[in-house]
Amino acid sequence: MRPSPLTFKVISGLLITVTAAMAEARIKLITLPVRERVEIQLDHPNATLVEEERIVPLVKGVNQVDFSWANTKIDSGTILFRVLEPGDGPQLDVNVLSVSYPPGENALVWQVAAGDSGSARVRISYLLGNLKKSFNYRAVVAHDETTLDLRQYMRVMNLANEAFDATGVWAGFGQRFLKPIGINETKEMLIDRFAAVPLNKTYTASVHEFGYIDQPKKKLRVPMHYVLNNDRDNHMGKAPLPFGKVRIFQDDGKGTTAFIGEDWGRFTPVDDKIKLYLGVAQDVSIKRTIEKNQRHRIAGNLYNVELIVNYEIENFKDQPVVLDVAEQLVNLRNEFWKNTGRDVEWELGEKTSFPNGLDREESTFDKVLFHAPLPARDANDKSGKAKKIIHRLHITFKNEW
Amino acid sequence: MKALTLLTIFLLVAFSTASKSLARNIDLSTVPDRQTVQLTIYNSEDLTFVRETRTVTFKEGNNPLQFSWANTLIDPTSVEITFKTRPDGLALVDTTFPHDKPKMLYWNVQSDFDGEATIQISYFTSGISWSSDYVCISDTDEREMSFEGFVRVLNSSGEDYEAAQIRLVVGTINLVEKIAQLAQITISQAEELREQESAKFGILRKQAALSVMVRRGRAVAAAPAPKKVIKEGLSEYFIYTIEGTETIPNGWSKRMRSFEGQTVPFRIQYRYRPAEYGDRLVRLYLLTNNEDSKLGTTPLPDGVVRVFRDNGRDGLSFLATQSIKYIPIGDKIELNLGPDPNVIFELIKLKAHRDNIWMQVRGGNVFRRVGQPGVQIDVRSTVAGWDDHSTQSQRIRNYSAKDIEVQVRRAWPGHVRFRSSLPAVKRHDFQTVQFTTKVDAGEKQDNLFEVVTLQGRNQKQNNVTIEATRITG
Repeated sequence: MRPSPLTFKVISGLLITVTAAMAEARIKLITLPVRERVEIQLDHPNATLVEEERIVPLVKGVNQVDFSWANTKIDSGTILFRVLEPGDGPQLDVNVLSVSYPPGENALVWQVAAGDSGSARVRISYLLGNLKKSFNYRAVVAHDETTLDLRQYMRVMNLANEAFDATGVWAGFGQRFLKPIGINETKEMLIDRFAAVPLNKTYTASVHEFGYIDQPKKKLRVPMHYVLNNDRDNHMGKAPLPFGKVRIFQDDGKGTTAFIGEDWGRFTPVDDKIKLYLGVAQDVSIKRTIEKNQRHRIAGNLYNVELIVNYEIENFKDQPVVLDVAEQLVNLRNEFWKNTGRDVEWELGEKTSFPNGLDREESTFDKVLFHAPLPARDANDKSGKAKKIIHRLHITFKNEW
Repeated sequence: MKALTLLTIFLLVAFSTASKSLARNIDLSTVPDRQTVQLTIYNSEDLTFVRETRTVTFKEGNNPLQFSWANTLIDPTSVEITFKTRPDGLALVDTTFPHDKPKMLYWNVQSDFDGEATIQISYFTSGISWSSDYVCISDTDEREMSFEGFVRVLNSSGEDYEAAQIRLVVGTINLVEKIAQLAQITISQAEELREQESAKFGILRKQAALSVMVRRGRAVAAAPAPKKVIKEGLSEYFIYTIEGTETIPNGWSKRMRSFEGQTVPFRIQYRYRPAEYGDRLVRLYLLTNNEDSKLGTTPLPDGVVRVFRDNGRDGLSFLATQSIKYIPIGDKIELNLGPDPNVIFELIKLKAHRDNIWMQVRGGNVFRRVGQPGVQIDVRSTVAGWDDHSTQSQRIRNYSAKDIEVQVRRAWPGHVRFRSSLPAVKRHDFQTVQFTTKVDAGEKQDNLFEVVTLQGRNQKQNNVTIEATRITG
């Protein structure tokens, strides 16, 4: 076993003040208090706080408590030394007089005054570099793709060059773990499991977000996403979900699972949606053309610009699906008028044909979203053709010049 | 490491007046020890005023003294000698800086007696610095905190200072030349530099330091309690005097607690101020450096604050590290803890439109408003002015377990009318609107407002006016 690069010594009463002679040979007795308890606090997004408790034997008078570290990245400015109150028994009167920092060393010396000889429980806290955490997720989707089981893991990577035996680890949420973490060791822990989370499988066509799959034919790329809601109604919502990779498996109906893709899950606050990209849906086809592009002069160089965007949609799947059709209106205006740098002022026209109209919840001042239900391909039709559904977006951009 | 020496010289070579050459090859010297030393360290400049006393035996007549400071960072122009005992019988005849021996000077002292006297030598040195830092630990409920202030003295001067009384000066003094620079040149070079400067400013440095030098008796041995740091105001400065003496060898630094406040009350506010905190909502601990807050014994010098919180699990959570600027007694202390993942802050633009559009007819000085009844606008006219309307929601979602107060301060450049019925909305400055709201735990709040920006020829001003109007999404 490697010796710890952190050393903690109590030098008994031969020296009262720190002098340059400290580095010189002298007769001294050193006790080496061991760690009684260690906690790794990972609740800060960018820093790791290590807290360790030791029982320090002190003699009456002034003691030197020496703390040094080698080849570890301790932020010396953050080191705290606190004397804890004993659970039972008399309290030893202990005062920290000062801290001295020797030149050119990763060390410090506390001058600790004790009113009597005895042991004191002390806690030393410091920020430690190279002890990092990350999060990752494993989802198993039900065979019918209506729900999934999501497991959230925290991975702690100990590159700090210090071993920790039976250490408490806390991510800032979820349960606390008590684990040993060796040098250069990575420990993965299950933080939470969310069972039977309702899953919304979406197909989206949005030319300015996802582009074309066949531009000359005006065919749009249609990505498929799994959308989860991080809220209580959907068996989640205990805490924000930290950024991390999500690996997705699906129950294959035969008692095993198949890996169907992975995506980065962004930081997702409570009540927000997490959208996971699975791949391109090749069986849902959408062709986007412009049926009308007409300017209406209001006065001088001031116009209203009227557009009708035509969508020809086919579903070659054997199940009915809903296709989300979105348009980024600033991009649409720029595409057929010009980039004026101004906000878009728009109005939907009567020829807009999506059955349930605009999704007002998801639409914004510069984005419109519609839902197009698509029937399944007729399995009895031997030609294999799907029904062609045609929808229109009729929009007027107002007061443009 | 001892780099400073004071020698009394017994002349084997004729050496009776200053006019004679000091060049010699055979000397006999005694080395009087330093008896007391006091360091007054300034944190605004690389400057420390050192005052030390030594006992010297004088003979009647002329007494040459040699003072040298090899491998240190002393300003030779600042070295002075005064006589603490028997001043009537001693007189400084002259001071000589030998051209061939840098970092050395000779004093010729005329004595009327044979016997001992205590002399005081004072000088400026660089390479000793001090800094402040603070540690705050909040309770679990985030209502009170412990607030500890520390001072840390770093000695890189090249000289060991043993059993030194240490005084730390808080404040910004004026120096016309850097001590570290003066320490690297000879006295003649320093004189050349000095002649180039105005004489009245040349001595300000000395006056500034001497004015704060109130000698105190040396304290005795360390007690088992932490040393007190006595704080006193003087002129524009604050002086911390560390009780007793400290030994700080060259290269070492030493950190001591200067004050402590327990159960210091504070409150939490969330703020959006892009100019100060970047484009994000941040959480702050707000407290005051006064007696009501169990602080206020001293201004807080520039320093680093480290903020922790008792996490309620028998441990601490690290919250933030922040540098603060000097905080006078009575002033606010604002500790920025950064974003809170449990509070979501979004600016959502709901709709936009334009009106009050004016056309310039044929590039001339004739303007027509679009939509004005009975007015025909020439087709060769161009848009010259309009009003942009933008309805927005400042949405705040509070998933924390506490009710929160949020202050939003946002700048709107141009000629702007800010319309809303938001609580406590006001103009922070000519183009910045501020409002403060409370959001209960677990609640979502949409703060609606409309921004009307007058563009082109419609723009007559460059400021924001606030109009009370109810806005609907």
